[in-house]
Amino acid sequence: MQSRPRRHGMRATLLVLPAIIPVAIVVIGGIGTTVVQSLGLMPLVGAPALSTDAFGSADDLLGSALLSLGIAVVSTAIAAVVGFFTAVLIISGNWGGRIVGALSAAAVTVPHLVGAASVGLLLSDSGVLARILGIPPESWPALVAGPTWFAVIAEYAWKESAFVALIIVGTLATRITSYDETAAVLGAHRGARLRFVVLPLAAPSLLVASAIAFAYTLGSYEVAWLLGKTYPEPLSVMALRLFNSASLTARPEAAAVAVITLLLTAAIVGVAMLGLRRMRAWQ
Amino acid sequence: MQIWLPFRRAASPTTARRRVLPALATAAVTALALSACSAPTTTPRGPEFFDWADVQIAAEGQTVKLWMWGGDDQGNAYVDDVLAPAAAVQGVTLERVPIADTKDALNRVFTELQAGRNTDGAVDLVWINGDNFRTGKQADAWFCEWTDLLPNMTLVSDSDPLLTEDFGTPVDGCEAPWHKAQFSFVYNEATVPNPPTTIEGILDWAEDNPGRFTYPAAPDFTGSAFLREVLYSVSGGYENVPSVYSDDAFAELSPALYERLDQLAPSLWREGSTYPATSEQLTKLFADGEIDLMMTYGPATLTALVENGTLPETTRVLTVEDGTLGNASFFGIPSNSGNIAGAMVVANEALSVEQQVAKADPAVWGQFTVLDLDVLSADDRALFDALPQSPVVPSFDILSQNANPELSAEWVPALDDGWRTTIAAR
Repeated sequence: MQSRPRRHGMRATLLVLPAIIPVAIVVIGGIGTTVVQSLGLMPLVGAPALSTDAFGSADDLLGSALLSLGIAVVSTAIAAVVGFFTAVLIISGNWGGRIVGALSAAAVTVPHLVGAASVGLLLSDSGVLARILGIPPESWPALVAGPTWFAVIAEYAWKESAFVALIIVGTLATRITSYDETAAVLGAHRGARLRFVVLPLAAPSLLVASAIAFAYTLGSYEVAWLLGKTYPEPLSVMALRLFNSASLTARPEAAAVAVITLLLTAAIVGVAMLGLRRMRAWQ
Repeated sequence: MQIWLPFRRAASPTTARRRVLPALATAAVTALALSACSAPTTTPRGPEFFDWADVQIAAEGQTVKLWMWGGDDQGNAYVDDVLAPAAAVQGVTLERVPIADTKDALNRVFTELQAGRNTDGAVDLVWINGDNFRTGKQADAWFCEWTDLLPNMTLVSDSDPLLTEDFGTPVDGCEAPWHKAQFSFVYNEATVPNPPTTIEGILDWAEDNPGRFTYPAAPDFTGSAFLREVLYSVSGGYENVPSVYSDDAFAELSPALYERLDQLAPSLWREGSTYPATSEQLTKLFADGEIDLMMTYGPATLTALVENGTLPETTRVLTVEDGTLGNASFFGIPSNSGNIAGAMVVANEALSVEQQVAKADPAVWGQFTVLDLDVLSADDRALFDALPQSPVVPSFDILSQNANPELSAEWVPALDDGWRTTIAAR
């Protein structure tokens, strides 16, 4: 009785090992190295000594953390809403939906760095849009590097909404038709079908996709660095600036900022995963 | 059989704690394994060659990867089309690795040294100077005492302070000079008919013309040089700022700098609510006509930018009475390079009269030579004299009049941090 499940478990473990080992080395190794560096155990010069100094030395950490969270929450929320309705449009299967589907698939392949450069060219003071509309730089609103972080949020929202849409389409495509038709036959009108059929079915993948988008937005630096304001800076930009700083003590500080970013992300993704377990459609 | 137990536990439905434990153990083991191979073993490598012939033999057939900032098309073209063929004649293949920031190369070297990759690093040669050089020197990341072996070092003055010290850090044969640069202010003649003639005058001009001036945010190289220019100006000249950093000097001198910049901020582009992040963004603002006065530490690029229409034809370099900062660029060889001899051959070739003349031509790159014109033969000096003048950039002797020495590298992060917390955060 006992040996069968054990052998089963062993076999399953062996089968997934080739996938797990490289991931573990990269993820756990990377995180481990960062934690070790943040605690002063991996200095560039001098002897390693355990200390938490690095966590306290970066100034305006709280402001940066709040800014990072703000950007990530707003852009993820926009991406979730836009992504959901885009997915519904794609699933509807008409011509418009197909075009939107193709555009979304294309948007996902654009690297964020290229996206940021394009958004910058489009929205900056003397950018393409300002020139097309014939508005002089002085009268153009400060969308890029402005106080609202408009360009940064717009870039993330645009790119991540395409990602969210494709994930939802992937899960809905196989099962939506029968449920939707049944509901329609039973007399549910459009609004009710959207609310009681499509949304519950899409919710788990919407949540997962949003969590991934959120984690990405919180951790990536290039968009905020290119399109953001000089001060305050998001955590990721701060970590990069410190890591590239010419002083040798800045590396542990950069690692500490990265660890804080990681904890924030883990906490919020953890909450999302708890929410996922409560969802009916997931079980 | 024991050894399989953790895996079985992980696979079977069990409490969360039991699932977490093996993961934590794996994490700890991986982290330990990684930190074990990262024990700092950065013992500096000393000279390995007796004479130049030795170096040439060792260099034969080596491929040298030169990591340099890739944002300057003329510089890239010079290395690819002029320097690389000359190195090939010496039996060395030169490959240019474009990077966004010199610190990327330094970080790569540091990471390799931390990981114990001590003899076959990815970086063989770096275009470097200033605080990057100092940081690398502190971490023993440079191969040192090699420049005396270069035959072409005899063409370089050994008493030129720009070449014996790099932002106050003694060069000590850890880097070979490449060219000189002069910080320059640039204005549009069409919109600034009567340009100011001093640093203070520039700041006053900015206040009289709100929104038409700004500077890159530190720690951008150019932005942080501008901080030093203003520091000299508000301190009454560079003579009054001790080049060696001390907390006392910083506490005494920096308040006047930040006060002046704070006062200036409302008159800047976008009322100083934000700053261009890089000198390229600053140049773009100037090119788009959003500002009328800008600055650069690489005036060499201006000629081509005006020629290809990026900058207006009325672009002019402003020579200020107080003088501006000057520095020299160098080639450094990381201590973990596997092609040290090849890198030395490239650095030597880059110092030849032929290469320095070619590079100084504004049509090629327009970079100012590091050679001592007084020790050159009459024929060689004639080559430099015959160089065409740029219509935009004055010659080096005009540009470097009253040149100010750079502060020691410790000043740079201190001034940058202070700027970020007082001016950027205002």
